[in-house]
Amino acid sequence: MAVASTMERKAGASDIPMPEGKWIDVGGIRTRYYEAGQGEPIVFIYGGNFGTSDSASSAYTWNLNLAPLAKRFRAIAFDKAGQGHTDNPLNDDYTMQAVVNHAGAFIEAMKLPPVHLVGHSRGGFAAMRLTLQKQHLVRTLTVVNSGTLMPRVGTNEVVLGKPPFAPYTRECARWVYENYSFNRGIVTEHWIDAVMETLNLPKYRESVRKMVDEKMGLTKFVPNLARDKRETLGWLCEGRLQRPAQVVWGFNDRTATVDGGFDLFAMIAAHERRAQLHVINESGHFPFREHPERFNALLGGFAARFGEGASA
Amino acid sequence: MTAITRKQVDIGGQRLSMLRGGPEAEPVLFLHGGVPGQTLYCSGAHIWGDYLPMAARARHVVAPDLPGFGDSAAGAEPYGIDTMARTALGLIEALKLGRCHVVGHDEGGLIAIAMALAAPNAVRSISIIASPTASPTGDSIENVTLMNPPGPAWSRGAQQWALQRMSHERHHIDAALLDRCVECSAAPAHRAAASRAPSEIALGVAGSVAKAKGQFYTVCRDGAFPVPAQLVWGADDPMTTIEHGRVLYGIIAARQRATHMHLINRCGNFPFREDRGAFHHVVGAFHTGLAQAA
Repeated sequence: MAVASTMERKAGASDIPMPEGKWIDVGGIRTRYYEAGQGEPIVFIYGGNFGTSDSASSAYTWNLNLAPLAKRFRAIAFDKAGQGHTDNPLNDDYTMQAVVNHAGAFIEAMKLPPVHLVGHSRGGFAAMRLTLQKQHLVRTLTVVNSGTLMPRVGTNEVVLGKPPFAPYTRECARWVYENYSFNRGIVTEHWIDAVMETLNLPKYRESVRKMVDEKMGLTKFVPNLARDKRETLGWLCEGRLQRPAQVVWGFNDRTATVDGGFDLFAMIAAHERRAQLHVINESGHFPFREHPERFNALLGGFAARFGEGASA
Repeated sequence: MTAITRKQVDIGGQRLSMLRGGPEAEPVLFLHGGVPGQTLYCSGAHIWGDYLPMAARARHVVAPDLPGFGDSAAGAEPYGIDTMARTALGLIEALKLGRCHVVGHDEGGLIAIAMALAAPNAVRSISIIASPTASPTGDSIENVTLMNPPGPAWSRGAQQWALQRMSHERHHIDAALLDRCVECSAAPAHRAAASRAPSEIALGVAGSVAKAKGQFYTVCRDGAFPVPAQLVWGADDPMTTIEHGRVLYGIIAARQRATHMHLINRCGNFPFREDRGAFHHVVGAFHTGLAQAA
């Protein structure tokens, strides 16, 4: 159990505002993104998926990382297809592959040189799959606490199942993120504000109708993801990943346990020499929010080490 | 910035030789591993190799030959973790380094732990590198990596053999390393240690390591490890397992918020030599993250 004094954090560190949002058309999907700084691009893919009513992720998830990393890099966080402010997938294609395709098309539409790609949770799966499908778009890969990608059983249903609050409420969203975290104190009002902003968008409610009421979650998203996961881990074991890759894991995540991080590292490390694993203590599912300074140091150092012209 | 140079200092009446350099910023103390007269290669400050100048670009670095190693004096007492910790703390004081990051390899990792427990105000953080010595043994399976060394002991060939067996890849074992290892084997400190009966050394070391580990685990169980700690393990270390590192990590992480573990791929027992770029990244990021979170 943690000692009370270890729960303190630097005041104000959790309130770094996001820059003004921008828009770009990505193959007919109006896409919202945030960027700051200049240099080699770091592109962040957050977790979660469309059509959930207990909580909702958006690019704001990276607010503690975007500005600090913008001192050395062009840091970019975009809203995935169907999440945040970005349009829903075209033709009711509520699948992970649609999200991956959109992420790749976003990098292409932005005309970015190969990016340092960072993916968390479901976004870690998307980042890995995108890297395996379009390696020319990626310079390095960082996967953070991804239960979706790890070759183990996730326990989200146990830890986060049946929230004691009504859907679409602040209380419910807060309950979800607090249960994800080691230190509940990191769930700020600003974070919940961002979640509520997404949950209240008409187009987001439409995605919930599709996923829940029309059962596309069960009939389409989940079975397609299972098939894609089998294929993606198969590709990993074949040695197709040929980019420097690091796995970063919060030690105390109850949904994607640290064993999964070690297993994922072993799968990557078998074929890619430039592989590393970093475990961060007193952190749940969001190490980049619970320990932003240490996470940013690891990410910035890795990107610099394998940046263009670096000899590592 | 100043280049790395060899210097000498007197600690408690004993001559200590060291490599030192870098700007006047955030000092880092490097503690090599090994036991004089027991370890099959002659350890010392030289084991840090080309990593030291790399670290010295941004940090003030100090890497002693511990008593009984290299150009340092033989040491009044036989090798012991607590004795080494006292000497290293004496070095910090004598050089007026202030609060130091301490990076220790294998036995050096346990020395760093002992320093943090004895004088937490002198130690800013510790990095425990590839340290079967600091890990719980827990009825481990015997490690046979160094079971049948070729003779003669501490010859160039025998030391090369040991370094190769302890590594994942042998490419880092260059002429500069072997030359210095051979040089150290002829130095008075090593000759004094090697003249002791192997059983006497083994008994002393085993007792000292067990005592230091006992204190360490008790503090972690009943209190809290007092300073931030980082474990760096080679993912392919013939001398230990990833599991040993994970257990050690869990022991510290239970009560010390700032605890990191890092695996560096395709490295054995010398990650700072086998992939010094990766090693520089993880140690640098740890120190930077601590500074920014402070």
